[in-house]
Amino acid sequence: MIYGGPSDETAPNVKRWQVGKPLPRIDAAGKAFGSTPYAGDHVMPGMLHMCIVRANIASAKLRFLDVAKARALEGVVEILTAEDLPIAEVAPGSPDRDGTERPNTGPPILAGERIRYFGEPIALIAAETRDIAERARQLVEFDLEPLAGVYDPLEAMKPGAPIVQGNDNIVAVRNIRKGDAANRLEDADYVVENTFWTPFQEHAFLEPEAGLAWTDENDVINIRVCTQDIAHFRAIADAIGVPHNKVRVRGALVGGGFGGKEDCTLEKFLAVMVRKTRCPVRLEYSREDSFVGHGKRHPLILRYKTGVGKDGKISGLDVEIVADSGAYLFLSPYVLLYAAVASSGPYRIDNLNVRARAVATNNMYTSAFRGYGSMQACAAYEQQMDEVARVLEMDPIEFRRLNYLQTGEPISTGFVPPSAIWTEQCVDRAWKAMGGPVNSTQEHIKIGRGIAAYQQSYGRLSFLGDTSEAWVGVELDGTVIVRSGVADIGAGQISALCQITAEILGVALEDVVIYSSDSAVTPLAGRTAATRTLYMTGNATKQAAEAIRARLVRRAAQEFGVAPDEIDLVEGKVLARAQPDNCMSIGALAEICETEGICRSELAMFHPQLQDFLDPETGQGQAHPDYVYGAHAAEVSVDTETGEVCVLRSIGVHDVGQCINRAAVEGQIEGGAQNGQGFALSEEMLYEEGRLVTPSLSEYLMPTSMDMPRVESIILESRSGIGPFGAKGIGEPAITPVAPAIANAIANAIGVRVFQMPITPERIVNALEERDKRRRTMTAR
Amino acid sequence: MFCDFDLHMPDRLDDALSVLTDEKGMPMAGGTNLLVDMRSRKETPASVIALGNVGELRGIHFNDERTTIGSRTTVSDLLQSTELVSSSPSLVEAAAVFAGQMVRNAATVGGNIACASPAADLVPPLLSLDAELMLVSASGSRTVPLADYYQGYKRNIRGKDELITQISWARLPENSVNMFYKLARRKGDAITIVGVAVTLSISNGICRKARIALGAVAPYVLRARESERRLEGQVISEELLCAAASQAARECCPIDDVRASATYRRHVVKALVGRLLSQSWNRLV
Repeated sequence: MIYGGPSDETAPNVKRWQVGKPLPRIDAAGKAFGSTPYAGDHVMPGMLHMCIVRANIASAKLRFLDVAKARALEGVVEILTAEDLPIAEVAPGSPDRDGTERPNTGPPILAGERIRYFGEPIALIAAETRDIAERARQLVEFDLEPLAGVYDPLEAMKPGAPIVQGNDNIVAVRNIRKGDAANRLEDADYVVENTFWTPFQEHAFLEPEAGLAWTDENDVINIRVCTQDIAHFRAIADAIGVPHNKVRVRGALVGGGFGGKEDCTLEKFLAVMVRKTRCPVRLEYSREDSFVGHGKRHPLILRYKTGVGKDGKISGLDVEIVADSGAYLFLSPYVLLYAAVASSGPYRIDNLNVRARAVATNNMYTSAFRGYGSMQACAAYEQQMDEVARVLEMDPIEFRRLNYLQTGEPISTGFVPPSAIWTEQCVDRAWKAMGGPVNSTQEHIKIGRGIAAYQQSYGRLSFLGDTSEAWVGVELDGTVIVRSGVADIGAGQISALCQITAEILGVALEDVVIYSSDSAVTPLAGRTAATRTLYMTGNATKQAAEAIRARLVRRAAQEFGVAPDEIDLVEGKVLARAQPDNCMSIGALAEICETEGICRSELAMFHPQLQDFLDPETGQGQAHPDYVYGAHAAEVSVDTETGEVCVLRSIGVHDVGQCINRAAVEGQIEGGAQNGQGFALSEEMLYEEGRLVTPSLSEYLMPTSMDMPRVESIILESRSGIGPFGAKGIGEPAITPVAPAIANAIANAIGVRVFQMPITPERIVNALEERDKRRRTMTAR
Repeated sequence: MFCDFDLHMPDRLDDALSVLTDEKGMPMAGGTNLLVDMRSRKETPASVIALGNVGELRGIHFNDERTTIGSRTTVSDLLQSTELVSSSPSLVEAAAVFAGQMVRNAATVGGNIACASPAADLVPPLLSLDAELMLVSASGSRTVPLADYYQGYKRNIRGKDELITQISWARLPENSVNMFYKLARRKGDAITIVGVAVTLSISNGICRKARIALGAVAPYVLRARESERRLEGQVISEELLCAAASQAARECCPIDDVRASATYRRHVVKALVGRLLSQSWNRLV
């Protein structure tokens, strides 16, 4: 890869006529006009309606469960409990190639005797109407005997703590070690130590989980569901004990995923019920169900100890991370690894020691969420960078500048990312966009600014192996069909694939139709997660389209009597560049190919090279295929009397490698700004002994349009990524630096830091009072 | 979902009152609280009397002495009235930060009062304006000061056969300022942590009238009467306003909940009462 030096623009090497433009997405009109069917819109004649009976104590023994009265209700067709299920324990879907032993903590479909979290499902009801199913739920009798539970990961690690999983509640350990952090901290000019707390977060997608399942003429169980991963058909088949080819997952356009629809949600409930009743069954979560029905973002406790020289160079870093894994494992080992790998940020730190543990508690289980451990780490390391700068009495950006990881340098695991590292350009652009200082006109209002840089992976963990397939075909009228099993979760995934295809085959975006998200008939593309879809499926689609293009071009060259490199495919036409009169429609060319038996379609697979697992002792090796770099800047006002915060400016600057659809990239940056602002300031899942006490959107407070400033998106394109056309990714990166930028802005405004997110008005007032108390004590002395 | 209930949809007030006799009958105005509570089965009324078709209860009227609004007037209606901005600024300020647009379009003034939530945003302004309610039943009507309406958490003096039909208040005296501030965890669609409304009337440097109403810091919206008494008849000074603010913080009795702690709420009452009083004073001098 060749880089044009530290500029923030590199010119594309070819003229693009589709890629990079802010085109209306192919899924936009249907969503805007309300004609797009979502999973919950699908119905069938004679279908049954399901509901779930959930435990209402977090740690308990189910002493008895009696469904007789509910079953006797007119219109109730079936009620299933753990006793009725063929296989109780099902391991999580991800293949386990992480090289570590891990306890068998797969969640049962329905809890048997032991209840480990509030809301754990204990029975499934199917009835002729939703209303009857709901009435039946009221009639199910059960008795829970409370057991000692543990609701704090630090408590859960103590000897004698109630055991939720394994022998000691520690469900995953990840270490990274390089250089000699202990000694470098010993002889550093300054050592700065701080602990940061990040909270649970709820995905709160617009579309709660919904699905419809039925058995078809081949005795295949079909499940229409909103999911980020149609490949769960295998885990579902295993769970109900049928061959993999007897389950077909048919996705739909998804009304938001954010990681919350990455694990199985309601698929297994549908599967066991359709198998038992042989009737079509439908299940739709209410918002309350959704709050207790999928894993949350891991709350992390991150202790940072940074050694730094008077020259501002970081000499050593020691990080300890404790993650609350909740009652079941799910994706905790991977999330924890992401946090550990990311914990040194986009900085060159040669002496690093990271110890990370995920701990089981009786809280809601935690799993994937946009940013996946990396964003929690960023929330800590970027606040720590500001704190170290404060101790050094240096400007936070100048301090960062002395420590940026540069293109070609190794990250925490010793791996050298193959693409450009443009942290410095992104930070500088964000700060420049902020403009001159703004002063408050009111005494009790303070204004402050903050910056945060980040490193966020794109692509799946390199040692898990990853493949993605796409099929592209040209019709005889020159229109194009794409087939790929990707799940579009609202971020423009399928539209981007169409735009890539249109670019390569020289047709308009409107001329491309995509069939996606069907585990039986579209080539499997892997889950929409880990900022991998554009990189993986984008590359597969590009490969397929390029293979067809090569055949079309060869045949056209023959037709026009020129060399293949003189042929262009533009605006639905094939032409010889030097002889514009030599021209025909792509459709006509496709007709020729059809007649002569030249294949007009191609199935391509993209797969990055499988890597060994990271060294179990030192964590050194390749964790991810590549990384995205960028920054976010925020300006806030803080009311020092009430602690209220208003975000005045929010500026995201990201090197996305190459935009495929500029409007979609901006959409991600804007959404990330909102998602991260909620994490920083207002979103709070409060649990009392594991019981969720904020179970609705009137208590769990995401920022509304009233709370958001206009988000400014600055998109840099290094064209150095390993995705199609040099693209990297933006799905997760967009959220990663937002919360620490806001936290740093608040600290800058009021001169004191709140170490626990969300930074609520009350926490700000408390921090200010503590500071005043300290000052008074010092004056008294 | 909902329990079974009988639904009445009267067109006229008389018809509404004639079915509002049953103990288990529940009047519904905008339904923005009741439907949520019914859905979660906190409320299981045997019958619901939906007042949406009773047109006579909706409207805003002014005369030389008083402002009168029908109980079915929506929060959005309050924001359409330019005259209300000058006669009752705190009410308009509260309406502007009341929930979100969709709720404002449905929620009504009478409903907000009748639900008796301590966090009802329209109540502090109406208390600061000395509003009176008209309660009507099939057998008669009575007028009660809003200040006497609440008796405890979600408890009030409305008889089961009575409806609030209108709310009215006298014009503010000359040289008065009337303000409201809502503190919440976000700007849109948020339940109030502390709501403060004040009225301050000053002539010749002396406080002629003071009203301080506090939302979400007691079982019901509270007037800080002791604090008001400290101000009335006194020469206004920064120290006096400060003392009144501290007194207001002593008078409230907040609780800890998911939104904030009692300690924080008390702190904010002092800060906001002090701020609103001194802003009012600054506007009058």
